[in-house]
Amino acid sequence: MIRQGVFDHPVTIGIVAATVAVLLVAAGVIGAMTAMGRGTPELRRELWLRLGSWCLLLPLMMGPVLLGREWVIGAVTLLGLACLREFDRATGLFREPLVAALVVLGIVAVNFAALDHWYGFFVALWPLTVGVICIGTIPRDRPSGYVQRTALGILAYMLFGAGLAHLSFMANDPAYRPVLLMLLTTVALSDVAAFTFGKLIGGPKLLPATSPNKSISGALGALCVTTLLVAGLAWAIFAGTPMAQPHWLLLFGLIVGIGAQAGDLMLSSIKRDIGIKDMGTILPGHGGVLDRFNSLLLVAPAAFHFIRFFVGVAEQQPARLITGG
Amino acid sequence: MDFRLRPARDHGMEAADRLRSLSRERGLGSILLGGAWRRVLRGYLALFHRLRVEGRENLPPPPFVLVANHASHLDALVLSAVLRGEAARRGHALAAGDTFFGSTLSSAFAAYAVNALPVWRKRTRASEIATLRERLVEDGLVYILFPEGTRARDGVMAAFQPGIGALVAGTEVPVVPCFLDGAFAAWPPQARFPKPGRLRLWIGAPLRFADVPAGRAGWEAVAVRCEAAVRALAR
Repeated sequence: MIRQGVFDHPVTIGIVAATVAVLLVAAGVIGAMTAMGRGTPELRRELWLRLGSWCLLLPLMMGPVLLGREWVIGAVTLLGLACLREFDRATGLFREPLVAALVVLGIVAVNFAALDHWYGFFVALWPLTVGVICIGTIPRDRPSGYVQRTALGILAYMLFGAGLAHLSFMANDPAYRPVLLMLLTTVALSDVAAFTFGKLIGGPKLLPATSPNKSISGALGALCVTTLLVAGLAWAIFAGTPMAQPHWLLLFGLIVGIGAQAGDLMLSSIKRDIGIKDMGTILPGHGGVLDRFNSLLLVAPAAFHFIRFFVGVAEQQPARLITGG
Repeated sequence: MDFRLRPARDHGMEAADRLRSLSRERGLGSILLGGAWRRVLRGYLALFHRLRVEGRENLPPPPFVLVANHASHLDALVLSAVLRGEAARRGHALAAGDTFFGSTLSSAFAAYAVNALPVWRKRTRASEIATLRERLVEDGLVYILFPEGTRARDGVMAAFQPGIGALVAGTEVPVVPCFLDGAFAAWPPQARFPKPGRLRLWIGAPLRFADVPAGRAGWEAVAVRCEAAVRALAR
């Protein structure tokens, strides 16, 4: 399998350097606020907590990407399992341990297919796992609640297994690092941009019943920033390919921008329906793992198939590394 | 339509608080760990204590409460090991908080392997009893309870406390009396580790207290009947 050096691509160097710089500047600003007594103590505490979480999260997100494809696939598997745990405890799916176990198996299997670089199995696992989840609890002869537990199991597999595993599969491409770093950072930046534009401009709410804190100005501002940033980075990453045309690059940016916000709103809808504020407590200042990574859930498959359509993903790499054939 | 879109009762709790919470609901990881632990336990009890169980057919489907004499740490291990299937997955030993939930490590073991819930002796609040009672009925749980309150230091069974009554009086939840023989000899409270020795468990017919009023007098009446049923099994 062809492998590239960690910092072979200038976009990789740029994103890592920019991330470190942003963290340093943020620490400097919050430090200055603290020294000068600006803002309420609660706000400063909240900002320090968020920064602390980012200092822990960013190495955990970017580290595996820099280390290599096996690390990416391992990290995505763990991320999928962590998301599933929060999801099943929030929705009550954990009270159906057999369905939860089948989703776990599905997540592990689809990431194995990525590790094996077996695209046929990777794609086949979507309907196969859905079938297994549908069949799984029938032998128990307990039709009561069947629709709910099966539907929740399928949704969980789609989001945390089949969906997220597209990031794993992308890691088979020798030039995966700048692409994954671009997706991880721009999706995170989309959240920050929506918050910032919403605070600076204000105005009418976007979907007040779903997410009372989001405004139309924040959503549009974030969409513009994300679209342009992704288009710009993709121009540098995919130069010389059929994708490197302004309209395709802007469309790619738009897909990532809309996908990021749609993922956020999707989780807000789930939380509102259940009546909870956060999915977990593991990340101080953020909530749960899902509260942080919701924007990535829909972006991963959409970005993968867009890139695959124009450029291909790991087309020249050997397939079925583990299973052979 | 019995699926309820409802978060875990312990949703939003910090990990350490969750371990010690009476609202802790177990997920897939805890069920798998607990299942592995019970298999190890059954092997140990069969090999080192040649455990014999009589009256297993008296165990009803969940929810129910197992009550027994208490002279050794082996008691809770034996009662949790004899449960099977759904009853085993829903089984919680009500364990002394000061003994089993002192540190985070011991709490994690008690919570994940044994699936114990902490009871804080002499300072149990009414709200905690109410939570245990509510969960017993609503979640269809199985409690393993030793109504004497502590291990008998001389191996002689003491009077039952009325706490068992507060859990079941006025409900349809049956109480299953059990008597365990040989645990005091194998692992008395004074010993640090157990030694091999025969164990024999008798499981009696379930008792029901739906018509007993939920009040002090009713609770004491429940305790008296449970104690008599356990003593009747001792032979």
